[in-house]
Amino acid sequence: MSTTPTWTAEVFQNEYLPDGATDVHAIVTVSSAGTGQAGESGGAAEAIIIDCSGSMGAPLAKIIAARKAAAAAIEEIADGTWFAVIAGVGLAEPVYPRTGMVQADQGTRAAAAEAVSRLTPQGGTAIGQWLVAAHEAFDRAPATQRHAILLTDGKNEGETAQQLAAAVQAVTGEFQCDCRGVGADWDVGELRGIATALLGSVDLIADPADMAADFLAMMQTAMGRGVADAKLRVWAPQGAELLFVRQVAPTIDDLTDRRVNVTPLITEYPTGAWGDESRDYHVAVRVAAKPVGSEQLAARVQIEVGGEVVTQGLVKALWSDDSALTARISPAVAHYTGQAELAQVIQEGLAAKADGDIDTATFKLGRAAKLAAETGNEEATRRLEKIVDIEDADTGTVRLKRDVSKLDEMALDTSSTKTTRVRPSS
Amino acid sequence: MTCPQCGEPIAAGDAFCENCGAALAATPSEPVTSSTETPARSCTACGGEVGEDGWCTVCGARASNGREHVVEQPSPTVVGVSDKGLLHARNEDACALASDGTWTALVVCDGVTTSTDSDTASLAAAHTARDLLAAAPRPGGATAARQAHWAKQLKAAASAADIAVEATASAGADNPPSCTFVAAVADGAVIVAGWVGDSRAYWLPDKGPAEQLSVDNSWATEQIASGIPRESAEADSRAHAITKWLGADSPDVDASTSTTTATTPGWLLVCSDGLWNYCSTADELHKVVAAQPSEPLSRAEGLVQWANEQGGHDNITVTLARIAPEE
Repeated sequence: MSTTPTWTAEVFQNEYLPDGATDVHAIVTVSSAGTGQAGESGGAAEAIIIDCSGSMGAPLAKIIAARKAAAAAIEEIADGTWFAVIAGVGLAEPVYPRTGMVQADQGTRAAAAEAVSRLTPQGGTAIGQWLVAAHEAFDRAPATQRHAILLTDGKNEGETAQQLAAAVQAVTGEFQCDCRGVGADWDVGELRGIATALLGSVDLIADPADMAADFLAMMQTAMGRGVADAKLRVWAPQGAELLFVRQVAPTIDDLTDRRVNVTPLITEYPTGAWGDESRDYHVAVRVAAKPVGSEQLAARVQIEVGGEVVTQGLVKALWSDDSALTARISPAVAHYTGQAELAQVIQEGLAAKADGDIDTATFKLGRAAKLAAETGNEEATRRLEKIVDIEDADTGTVRLKRDVSKLDEMALDTSSTKTTRVRPSS
Repeated sequence: MTCPQCGEPIAAGDAFCENCGAALAATPSEPVTSSTETPARSCTACGGEVGEDGWCTVCGARASNGREHVVEQPSPTVVGVSDKGLLHARNEDACALASDGTWTALVVCDGVTTSTDSDTASLAAAHTARDLLAAAPRPGGATAARQAHWAKQLKAAASAADIAVEATASAGADNPPSCTFVAAVADGAVIVAGWVGDSRAYWLPDKGPAEQLSVDNSWATEQIASGIPRESAEADSRAHAITKWLGADSPDVDASTSTTTATTPGWLLVCSDGLWNYCSTADELHKVVAAQPSEPLSRAEGLVQWANEQGGHDNITVTLARIAPEE
């Protein structure tokens, strides 16, 4: 059944600027409802890419869990959705069907589940090759909404970094891809780069036993996205400079470099498929200062679906000599500014730690402990506490723990971009 | 027009209602009305196209609401001037006037700047109140009865204006539009004022002391009432915080009223704080008004210009009626 989704955009900012100020910051919360099921307009397609490199057999629990997880995801694919399962070995090998994609029904799902039960570890890791193979399969299915799940357990050692980058670039915009790493031998930065470019999530599966539940949830989420493709569109006035456009919830994702110029005043950013959900964007615009008493629109933040603007939030600037108005800090802007810095210092701190730069690591992770406490990000605090002893969160004083588990570090790294929502203000 | 007794339609000039037979001798002829309007315009700043959202699609300037400087004059002796002032981005004041010679109504509403679309709110409030007053019966009779009648009508006008303001709110707005309200009716020599908020009404006789008819519903006034000196109360940053207003988030829209009687000719003045903020006492204001030209429109324009010369920090709305009671 087809429904008409409803969209809303809410703006949180302090529009009052003191005399001479130029920078306007706002958080725009975009919400969608009534989006329906995946494939409502133009059909949906799913690819499941399972790393079957030799290391997946050591221990055997990994490949066994991967077979179960793939089967669980296959079970969630809705009737009529096109799908394929691909095994990642040195090259990519189709597991089911033999070529292209098939439409899901009871028979094809059962056949696919049977095929994945025979997955065996062999060969190396060449993620770029796997993505290209998935793209070729998608191109043989008449569906516009395309989503993949990619599982790996190792670093991309079967091809060069340049080959991987070229492959990612070639498939960017062709399909979305959620990436998962199992075990402690894969590279968080590498997988995050792929997931970010392909508008997907990245996460660690520390225990293979959790894999099936995670795959099932990912597939359910994908099947619940009834809007195949929405774009964020930002208008800024003539002469203004768009400083950045950043998704800040549910995860931090800087969109600035993904801009597509629509007109000299309008830029557009891909946001992928939407279910019934809510995402927050931080938009920063630099405008020319105007005399006290002047007012102007600093940005129109819109969502575009199928060439049509479906909702819009207005970001305003109003210059005032009333310091009671101009001194207020928007709680939403402050919160997400803190969360963005939190993600950055966690990643920088862990990188410094890996390089053996203890001073920088201690400083950055101390800053992270302070920001996590200030912004109420309890998950980040909990994960940080496995890496550092927090002596004083208020001052950001921490000591690096000895004998830290690699998995705990990877968990902190992969979750660094997850944000908490701003606390409701009274 | 409708019969004041049964509510059935009647024609102007009818002596009796055709439906119920009520004597219509006291029924006034339709008063002339005049009020702030908002024509649609393109971007006055850069000439660009104005978007459906009311902002320029090129430079981002807010489309003019057409109220930068508005003059209303329903009769030669009744005039209103509403001006943006110098430091506000747009004029959120509105006025609406009605007059038929011996009867006059002046209404001023001041949109609360920190709420959204308050210019729409003030306009709706002023129109609604003026229309209700202009359509009200004019029973005549003893002074006390007329005073009570207009006090009741002014409360009804404030209540109707409040409903009109609430109707301008867009669904789900967390900062609903709001505005102040002040209106004065001169029915011959009987003058009655009603207000919610800090816009004011004054009676300024040619001979004798000036009277401020309204008492602000504001932080400063409450402080002054509790014994704080006027100068220090008005210098406080909270001085202008109003304690009553019209709008969806208003706790109390019951208008206060007061009355006076014109014993000599004089001026009825109803204005927003953009004027009185520069001359808070009735005596000061009286002097400033007396210094302006005596022709009504020139006098109102002169007062607006004077307020702009004092800094023009807020929107300025001045409405004046020359009252010359029959001897």
